[in-house]
Amino acid sequence: MKFIINREEILLPLQQIVSVIEKRQTMPILSNVLMVIEGDQLTLTGTDLEIQIIAKINIATADPGSITVPARKFLDICRLLPNGAEIKFELQDDKVKIASSRSRFSLSCLPADNYPEFAESELENHLFINAGKFKKALDKTVFCMANQDVRYYLNGLLLNVSNSKLKLVASDGHRLSIYEDNLDQPTGFESRIILPRKGVLELSRLLDDPEAELKVEFSSNNIRIFIKNLIFSAKLVDSKYPDFGKVFQQEFFNQIHIQKQFLKEALTRVAILANEKFKGVTFDISPGSLKMSTHNPEHDEAEEELVIEYTGEPLTIAFNAQYLLDAVSNLDSELAVLTIASNASSCFIDEPGDCGYKFIVMPMRL
Amino acid sequence: MRIRSLPTQLVNQIAAGEVVERPSSVVKELVENCFDAGASQISIEIEQGGARLIKIRDNGCGIIKDDLPLALSRHATSKIASLKDLEQVVSMGFRGEALPSISSVSRLTLISRISDADCAWKVVADGSEQDFDPQPDPHPPGTTIDVRDLFYNTPARRKFLKTEKTEYVHIETLIKRMALSRFDIGFTLSHNQKEMLNLKPAATETEREQRIAGICGTAFIENSIKIDFAASGLQLTGWVGLPTFSRSQQDMQFFYVNGRLVRDKLVSHAVKQAYQDVLFHGRHPVFVLYLTLDPALVDVNAHPAKLEVRFREGRLVHDFLFSALHRSLADLRPGHGIIQQSATESPPQTQVVQNVGWQNDSATQQSTPGFDNKPVYSLRPPLPLHVEETVQAYASLYPKPEPVAQVQPEAKPLGHAIAHLHNIYILSETAAGIILVDAHAAHERVTYERLKQQYQNGAVPSQPLLLPIKIKVSAAEADLAEQEQAFFTSLGFELNRAGPETIVLRSIPALLGNTDMETLIRDVLADMAEHGMSRRIQEKSNEILATVACHGSVRAHRRLTIDEMNALLRDMEQTERIGQCNHGRPTWIELSTGDLDKFFLRGQ
Repeated sequence: MKFIINREEILLPLQQIVSVIEKRQTMPILSNVLMVIEGDQLTLTGTDLEIQIIAKINIATADPGSITVPARKFLDICRLLPNGAEIKFELQDDKVKIASSRSRFSLSCLPADNYPEFAESELENHLFINAGKFKKALDKTVFCMANQDVRYYLNGLLLNVSNSKLKLVASDGHRLSIYEDNLDQPTGFESRIILPRKGVLELSRLLDDPEAELKVEFSSNNIRIFIKNLIFSAKLVDSKYPDFGKVFQQEFFNQIHIQKQFLKEALTRVAILANEKFKGVTFDISPGSLKMSTHNPEHDEAEEELVIEYTGEPLTIAFNAQYLLDAVSNLDSELAVLTIASNASSCFIDEPGDCGYKFIVMPMRL
Repeated sequence: MRIRSLPTQLVNQIAAGEVVERPSSVVKELVENCFDAGASQISIEIEQGGARLIKIRDNGCGIIKDDLPLALSRHATSKIASLKDLEQVVSMGFRGEALPSISSVSRLTLISRISDADCAWKVVADGSEQDFDPQPDPHPPGTTIDVRDLFYNTPARRKFLKTEKTEYVHIETLIKRMALSRFDIGFTLSHNQKEMLNLKPAATETEREQRIAGICGTAFIENSIKIDFAASGLQLTGWVGLPTFSRSQQDMQFFYVNGRLVRDKLVSHAVKQAYQDVLFHGRHPVFVLYLTLDPALVDVNAHPAKLEVRFREGRLVHDFLFSALHRSLADLRPGHGIIQQSATESPPQTQVVQNVGWQNDSATQQSTPGFDNKPVYSLRPPLPLHVEETVQAYASLYPKPEPVAQVQPEAKPLGHAIAHLHNIYILSETAAGIILVDAHAAHERVTYERLKQQYQNGAVPSQPLLLPIKIKVSAAEADLAEQEQAFFTSLGFELNRAGPETIVLRSIPALLGNTDMETLIRDVLADMAEHGMSRRIQEKSNEILATVACHGSVRAHRRLTIDEMNALLRDMEQTERIGQCNHGRPTWIELSTGDLDKFFLRGQ
């Protein structure tokens, strides 16, 4: 096996692959990247057994073959070679020789036969989506995913396709974000799958070109997404996503309109003196005015007052400032719209008008 | 098969199966009889681990000649007379089974003389409860019981006996434990004609401590504090080991309820909780504790060997034990600040539970000549509701700073910092010697106690859940969760029943944001079913506060200035449970001038 490649051609795919490879491994081969040459195509594969990324690169001069090499070391070598360097890669006996102008490296490697196969069942559902649109959907939802919750289905993202409607939902049990959009082509099927947390974060990193068209294939166990020369595959979380519909079926107070920037700044300042473990901040809302206040166990106190657009009954509600900040920061508009359920049991945050996404934050009882 | 009544001897042998398990159980029953007879000196002779001979002699009240045959009959006793007596047993025994059971599996001789009789009388019994023929005998006032060839007629039991040595060790352990319960009685124990134990009656505090040291080792007395708490008609006295003096096994835990050694789940649970967060992982505390309460509030008729008891007011007893021990561990701090405080403050003397039926009624007293003077609870004035600790115990723990001339103007218990060694340990000079402090561990405890205080004072913020957590439990647990809703609400939970075997968690305490709620709730319910209460939620919050404290404390290797170190030492003097960090590691050690002198052979 032998090939010559320009540093620039291999560096980016290699970086994308290495990010799924766990640093510490019990199976040594999993810290390696699989390299296969068939015809004039080089295929790089990295996996952690839950997610797999495959990159395909066209090369001119190559002898076919396959091998696995330590991913991080190979990446570091390529990364630290000068711009535009020609990299010569050659398998000799059980070593891989890498040469570029005056640099010589010899890497220990493991045979490709032992590289774990990523089991995929037949993927019966297909859809096409623009990468920019999908990236936005992910951005509006990923921050609400739970991390290492015992309710493992919350450590992921719900992807709900219903003919031409796409819905993404993430929640950690305390807050929820929901994003809805229309697909360009009707898919003709209805399905709900849960993408694992790590997969979602990796995927979102791969969607750097907003113009690209994605082909998404999935079954109830697996998902595969074609992103230009990359193929991203992941195992799905095998569970039912909890029913969150009830939160919409309640009465609400009038909408509160607040300048997003002012709200963010005021919240950040007030939160300095909130309890550092759960950042409780109390909102006293009355027509035209929002007073937020907090205190902590050391008896420090903070207060801020904001001008808001609100007509209706005065009300008092408390929030974890961090949850509110996360939600408000993800709004695109200048104006934030807060809609509070009439029994003060939840708060909806979105933009004025129809924006396709919504954040729900549960209040606290202080 | 026809139904017939069994011969008396067989009935007794069946009873013996429960009570007489091995030689040490015979000794236990007989020594308890000596206690009930008001003896002040008991001698026990053992041969071949008790298999050949157990001979117990006391100088108690003795048995009248005419009662001797009765004493050896089933369900005949002088200790109780009515159901009312049974409900408030003040004697060790009451079942009237021990002697006939023992006599049915051994060759038993009973010799007894009451003080004003002309001579002693002797009877031999075989468990058949007939043909008693009292013979005169030259025996001093008191009773001797001679049990030979235990299990001679029940070979199956005999086969289960362990080696002579093992059986003897069981007896010796038992005698030691019983000796701890009655300091006013002298004990001698001999094995194969060799004297093994000789404990004199201990009247003074020092003699008592000597007896304890003889049984639990001198290290125990040196590393324990004496406690004396009383509240709501309960009194707890005794010695508890410092958290640093722990053991890997639960073998040095003696708990006496009204003078009776018990192993009770409720008690061990309360003790375990009191030692929470001061004991190093996997270690067990040591203690010798005496709980005294109205006999009517404890049911001893729960176990044939009376190892378990039932408290009528289990929760009250649990809370009392927990708070008494928790308090005494919290007050362990350098110097004796707490003692001075409790001496000056006059403790509130409110609410004392009426001690109904506390003393024996006079009728029982007359019929039981041996008991009137002994039991410690018989004539106690209503217990005041205050806490006091014994100054001497503290003084022996922390040598009083002698006013040495050249030290700083005011002598602080932890002295004044001199240096920060390796940027980890604070070296401090005190009046009595030097102290080394692990700065991180000590600061961790200071921060932790402060945080706990702050959180306990405020309301409990709760976080409603967008996606409620459904928990499948048993129907009984769901009932319990419903019943204890007030308890859960007070801690920031909102629990509802959603079905016969489902509960739904709608709010959680904000502090416990990321913990596994399902497991926590299950554990709490299990605790409640078992002990009637649970402190798991508090423990969980404390764990989180401990992590916060750990991160918020100065790290090892951060250089501290002298002023910073002195400030830490002063904080330590004010902090509860300062002896250990949150994980049970010690925070400071002391080397007295005496110790230092020893290193250099000064003054020798």
